[in-house]
Parts: sequence; structure tokens; C-alpha cells
Amino acid sequence: MAGREYAWKRRPGWWLRNRRYLAFQLREAGGVVCALYGLVLLNMLIQLRAGESAYTAFLNLLRTPPVLYLNVVLFALVVWHALTWFMLIGKAQPIQFTRKPLPWKVVFGINVLLWLGVSGAVAYLIFGGI
Amino acid sequence: MLLEPIFWSLFSLGGFITAFLFPVTLFLLFFAAPFHLWPTDPAAYSTFVGHWKEPLVRLFFFVLIGGSLFHGTHRLKFMLVDAGFKGRSAEAFLDVILNGVAIFGSLGALFYAVRGWLF
Repeated sequence: MAGREYAWKRRPGWWLRNRRYLAFQLREAGGVVCALYGLVLLNMLIQLRAGESAYTAFLNLLRTPPVLYLNVVLFALVVWHALTWFMLIGKAQPIQFTRKPLPWKVVFGINVLLWLGVSGAVAYLIFGGI
Repeated sequence: MLLEPIFWSLFSLGGFITAFLFPVTLFLLFFAAPFHLWPTDPAAYSTFVGHWKEPLVRLFFFVLIGGSLFHGTHRLKFMLVDAGFKGRSAEAFLDVILNGVAIFGSLGALFYAVRGWLF
């Protein structure tokens, strides 16, 4: 039996109605920005394969002021996406290590600590550290 | 319909990958040197090409690019559906285009990750 479809009730611009909806929509946008950066990184690998001059030209383009400051805004969305992802882990998947599920703030804190550790490992193992 | 659980799983996996790995990667590649926040330039050709010889670095970029593409295109699909791009044929169109970007982008990342290493 086919399920009944409910009428679409959300109006355009619903996400501007309060800060929670806006925060949610910014996280969604942050996820899309991650895909854009995925394509940027893919192009970086293509330029790396093409040789030093192609790679350096691409890197210089990314470092021109308009692109750099646009990147700062997009980077803020990526960080917001990461932080809100850590927030929702504790709400969407309450893993029961104890008698009662852990409060989401505890799960968020653990994830942020883990994130800092992983970031340090990436800086050291992938990019050679300082 | 059959592939839907797979794309949802890749979306979720990509969410973890992007949340944990993207901020530090973008910071080191795009902001550390221009804003003088790091003593070296991790994205400089001579530095990056040196790291690129290591299989772990190649695997890292493949996972990062693939994860971000599957995560972001899935989000974009539902943002567009939410914005009014809905209906069976419209969603099928979005599925083909966006999943195509994720699949071919990931295959491209895999190609560049193994090129010069395995063949």
C-alpha cells in the first residue's frame, strides 16, 4: 500500500523566521561548502600533476585578496558545520555507555576534544608538523 | 530507491570525515601561510609534493575529497528540494547530477591518489 503524502506546509524563507532555523540552514550550507572545497582540493591534485607552474598559479589565485576573504567566510561555514555536527551526534545517537544516555553537552565536549586531537595528528602526520 | 541507503550512509560517513578533517586541512592549506599563522607554508609546491609521495597522504586526500563530495551533494539535494525543486522527475534529475558529481569526483580523486604511486 502506498503511503499517503502530506501537503508541503513550509513557506519560502521559513529558515529566516528564527535563529534556530537560521543556524540549521547555515549548517546545511556549510555541508554544501564542504563539497565545493572537495572540488577545489581535487583541482589542486590535478594542478599538482600538471607541474609546478600550474600548481603555483592555482595556489596564487586562491591567495588573491578577493578569493582569500571569500575563503574566510566559507571556512567559517565549514567550522560551523563541524561544531553543529558534533552537537547533533549527542542528540541523534545517544550511545549508552552508562545506565542513562550521556547528555548531549558531554558528547559534544568529548567530540571537540577528539577533534582537537585529530587536527593535531593531521597537522603532524599529513602536513609534517611545524 | 535501492541505492538510497548507500547514499545516506556515505552522506553520514562524509559528515564525520568533513567535520573532523576539513577545518585543519583548509586552515593549513589556505590560511596558515597568507595570514602568517604557521611557521611554514604547508601548501607550497616543494613542501606539498614532498608529502604527496607518502601513501598515507594520498589516502587522506582521497578520503577527504570523496567524503566531502558525498556529504555535500546529498545536503545540496535536500536544500534544493526544500527550496521547491520537488517532484519525482525533479528529484531523479537531482539524483543523477549530484550523485554523478560525487561518484566521478571520488573516482577522480582515487585516480590522482594512485597515479604515480601504483602506476
